[in-house]
Amino acid sequence: MKNTFRGGVHPAGHKELSRESRLRLFDPKGEMVFPLSQHIGKPAKPVVQKNDEVKVGQLLAEADGFISAPIHSSCSGTVKAIEKRRVIGGALADCIVINNDGQFTPFADYSKRQDANKLSNQEIIKRVQKAGVVGLGGAGFPTCVKLQPKNPDAIEYVIANGAECEPYLTCNDQMMRIHSNEIVEGLELVLRIFPNAEGVICIEDNKPEAIEAMKRAASGKSRMSVKAMVTKYPQGGERSLIQAVAGVDFPTAQLPADVGCIVQNVGTLYAIQRAVLYGEPLFSQCFTLTGEAVANPGNYIVRVGTSFAELLEEAGGLKDGAEMKKALCGGPMMGIALGSLDIPIQKQNNGLTVLAEDPVEAAEALMTNCLRCGRCQTVCPLGLTPQLMCDAAIAGDLERFEKKLYGMDCIQCGSCTFACPAKRPLTPVFKQAKAEILENRKREGGGQK
Amino acid sequence: MNAAVNTVNLSSAPHVRDKWTTPFIMRMVALSLMPATIVGILVYGWNAFAIVALSVISAVAAEWVFCKICRKPSTIWDGSAVVTGLLLALSLGPQTPLYCPVIGSIFAIVVCKCCFGGLGKNFINPALAARCFLLISFANAMAIKPVIDAVATATPVGAMKAGETVNITKMFLGTADGVIGSSILALLVGGLLLWSLDIIHGEICFSVLIGFTLFLGIFGGKGFDVNYLLAHLCGGGVVMGAFFMATDYVTSPVSKLGQLIYGCLIGVLGGLFRLKGNTADSFSYAIIIGNVCTPLIDTYIVQKPFAYRKVGKTRKTSKQPFRIPKPVIALTLIAAIAGVALSGVFSMTKDKIDEQETLKKAASYTEVCPEAESFAIHEEANTKIEEKAGTDWHADYPSARINEVFECRDAAGGVVGYALSITSKGFGGDVTMAMGIRADGTISGIAFTELKETAGLGMKADEPEFKDQFPGKSVSIDLVKGAPQDDNDISAITGATVTSTAVYNAVNAGLNFYETVLKGGN
Repeated sequence: MKNTFRGGVHPAGHKELSRESRLRLFDPKGEMVFPLSQHIGKPAKPVVQKNDEVKVGQLLAEADGFISAPIHSSCSGTVKAIEKRRVIGGALADCIVINNDGQFTPFADYSKRQDANKLSNQEIIKRVQKAGVVGLGGAGFPTCVKLQPKNPDAIEYVIANGAECEPYLTCNDQMMRIHSNEIVEGLELVLRIFPNAEGVICIEDNKPEAIEAMKRAASGKSRMSVKAMVTKYPQGGERSLIQAVAGVDFPTAQLPADVGCIVQNVGTLYAIQRAVLYGEPLFSQCFTLTGEAVANPGNYIVRVGTSFAELLEEAGGLKDGAEMKKALCGGPMMGIALGSLDIPIQKQNNGLTVLAEDPVEAAEALMTNCLRCGRCQTVCPLGLTPQLMCDAAIAGDLERFEKKLYGMDCIQCGSCTFACPAKRPLTPVFKQAKAEILENRKREGGGQK
Repeated sequence: MNAAVNTVNLSSAPHVRDKWTTPFIMRMVALSLMPATIVGILVYGWNAFAIVALSVISAVAAEWVFCKICRKPSTIWDGSAVVTGLLLALSLGPQTPLYCPVIGSIFAIVVCKCCFGGLGKNFINPALAARCFLLISFANAMAIKPVIDAVATATPVGAMKAGETVNITKMFLGTADGVIGSSILALLVGGLLLWSLDIIHGEICFSVLIGFTLFLGIFGGKGFDVNYLLAHLCGGGVVMGAFFMATDYVTSPVSKLGQLIYGCLIGVLGGLFRLKGNTADSFSYAIIIGNVCTPLIDTYIVQKPFAYRKVGKTRKTSKQPFRIPKPVIALTLIAAIAGVALSGVFSMTKDKIDEQETLKKAASYTEVCPEAESFAIHEEANTKIEEKAGTDWHADYPSARINEVFECRDAAGGVVGYALSITSKGFGGDVTMAMGIRADGTISGIAFTELKETAGLGMKADEPEFKDQFPGKSVSIDLVKGAPQDDNDISAITGATVTSTAVYNAVNAGLNFYETVLKGGN
C-alpha cells in the first residue's frame, strides 16, 4: 500500500547537494526590483512614488481586484523608479525599483505574537490577503482566493504540500525540519476556515527528517496527519496529491475546491502563520541555490526583489572552472531557463539551479522520429495521450488536440518529455498549443462582444 | 561573469531527460531476439547464420544508402534496421536461398520504412511485409525444406493442416523443422523479458495469444484440447508474431483498449486463416491486416484522461494495491515454462525416440525379409545374445554385436528366415543394421537403421550399389578392393575402408550367429 498517484517518472534527485544546508537569511546590498505581477491575476497597483522613503514590510502596491495580491517592500530605502525591467521569462514588465540602504529598517514590529483565537474566519482571510500571500509552490496563485471557496463546509481535505518532488530543490525540506511548529500552526489556521476538513501533510519519503519533524509537531493536534508519499515526480503537483490523498481525478475546468480539496504549499502555510499571528507581510521566502556549477549550494531565506546574480555572487559564485551552461529559476523539471541572472527573485520562486552541462543539448542530438512506444502515456499523471496530442498540435489540428485528446488538461509537468526515448520536445509543443487555443478563445470571445 | 551569462542555453522545461533512448530500446529488442537466433543457428547450422548475417547487414546497408541518396542524415545508428533485419531473418526457413534475405531486407527498409518517412512512419511492420513479399515472389525458394526430420514432408504446421500429429516438444524447443526463429522457449524468454521491462505492451501480446487460443478452441472442432491448442500455439510463428511482430510500436494502436481490440483481431484472424486458409504462413497476413487497421483504431479509440473516465469515484481508495513486479512474474513464468519443458522433454522424448526407433527397425526388418508376414521372438537365440551382452560376438569380427533376433514367419506360420539387428563401429560412430537371413542360410538383404558416416564416402554404404551385393551370400564374406573375384567377395566402398569393414564385421558376425546358434537350433 503506497501513497501515490498513477504514472510519474523518477528523475535523479541531486538533493544531496544542498539538503543538509540550514536556511540562512540573505541580506542583499544592491538595488531591489519588485515586479508588479508576482502572482496569477491582475498586476498590483503602485501606491508609492519615485523618491518615496520605504521600510521593510511597507506596502508598495495594492491588489487590483479579487484575483490579485499586494506587494510589500523587503528592504528599506528610497524608490528609485517605477519602470519596465526584465523579469523571469525575458519579458519587460512594470517594476518598482528601490535603492536599498542596507539597513533593513522594519516598517512595523513583526516579532510580537498576537492572539489569534478571537479572530473570525473573515479576519484570518483578510490578514492573509493584506499580507500579499501567494502560493509559494511555484504558481503564485493568491492564497486568500483559495481560502474562499463557494462552500467552505464541503472541503474535506486541506493538503499541506511538502512533497518537494522537483529535483535539486531542498528548501522546503529544511523549512519543515526547522519551522515544523509554525507550519502546523499555519495549517491549524486554515483548518479553522474549513470545519469539516482534515489536514494532511504530504511529504515524499526521501525526506525522513522532515517527516519526523512534522510528525512531532502535528502529534496531538486534532484533524491532522502526516503522510509519507512515494518519491516520484510530479508527486507535489496539486492534482497528483489530490489523487493520492482523496482518490479523485478532476477535469481542468474544475478547481481543487470543487472536489473538496485545498492544497497549500508548506512555505505558504508558514507565510500564513507569519501573516496572521505576527502581521508580517510576505516579503521573503525559502529558496535553494544549487546545481553542479555552484560553488556553495545551500538553502536561504531570500528577500523578494533580490537579484539572482547578487545571490549567486555573494554565495561564492560558480565553482572553479565550471561553466554556467544553464540557469534555471526553479528545478530542472518545471523551471524556467534564465537568459540573464540580472533579474529579480519573485515571491513564488523557490530555487536557482545552475547546471554545468545542458542535458537538453545532449538529448537533442539523439532525437529521432516518434516511435509511438507509449512511454509518455504511461508516465502522464493525468492519463493523457501525449504522442497523439503532439501529432495533432504539430499538424495544427487544435480542435482534435482540445476536444478529442483533452490537451487543455495538460499540466505541463514535463514527465512525458523526460521519459520520451526519442527525445521529442513534447511539453514545449503542448505549451504553445495551449497558448494558441487560449488566444483563439479570447479572440472569439472578443468578437462576440 | 557576464560573459558566462551570455553563453547560457535557453530551452523550455523540462531540462532533464531520462536515460532511455531509441537505440537503447532497439538494442533491448535485438538482445531479446538473441536466444531465438542462437538456438536457430545451433539447430539449423551455418546456413541459418548466413541468413541472419546477410539479412541484418543488407538492412543496415539499405538504410545507409537510402539516406545517402536522399541526402538525409544517416539514421542507421538508431538500431531499428538491425531489428528489422533480425526479425526478417528469424522468419525465414534455414534453407532459404541467400538472395531472399538480401532482397527482403532491402524491400523492408527502402519500400516499407524509408519511403514512408523512416522510423515511426511506416504503416506496416517492415519485416513482416518483406516476408510476405518474399512468400509471394519466391514461393518455391521460400518453402521450408526439412533439414532435421528428413522423413517428414512438411513443417509441423503443414502437417497439422493435413491432420497429422506433431511433436509439440520439438516445436517448443525449436528442434523441429521450421523457420530459424522457431524455438518457442527462446522466443518466450526474450518476449517476457521485453514485457517485464515495459518495452512491449502486455495488452497486445497476451490478447493476440488469448484471441488465437479462444478462436481455435471454439471453432477448431477439437474443443479446448491442450495438445491441439499447444501444437497450434507453438507453430506458424504465433509466438514470434505475438511478442515481436504485433507489438511493433509504430504499427499498433496507442490506447490500451485499442491495443486489446487490435490484439484480439490479430488472434482471431490468425486462427481463422489457420483453420480455413491454405497456407501455413497465414499468421503474418493476420498481423499485417491488424497493422493496416491501426490508424482507424487510433482515430476512433482515444484513451480518456483519468478525470473523464466513467469509473465511479474511487474516493479514499487511492492506495495502490501491492502488485507483483513484472520482472518477478516474467522470471517465474520463464522458470516454470523451462522446468515443465525440460521434464516434459525428458519423459516425452524418451518414449518418442524409443517409438521412432522401433518403427524404423520394424520397417527395416520388413525390408530385409521380404517373404516374412510376421515376426516372432526367438527365445533361445535371444538367451545366447544376452549371454554375450556388451561384448563382441566373435573375436574375428571386432566391435560387432548382435542386438536382437526375430523369426520371420510366412502366412502359414512356418519359419522362412531370421531378422537380426547388429551394431558395429564405423567411422562416425555406431553403424546399426538389420540383416535378413533365409532359412537356408543365405542373406536376404541388409538395411541400415543407424548410419552416421561421412557424406559422399561412408554414407555410400546405404546405396543399392553396395547394399545389393549382399543378398544370396552365405557362411562368410570377404572384403576386396575393386571388382569381386569370388562368390563370397564384397567390393569395398572406395575411400571408406572403415565403414566397409564395419559392415563386413557386422555381416560376418550375423552369419556366424546363424551358423552357430540359429542353424543348430533348427
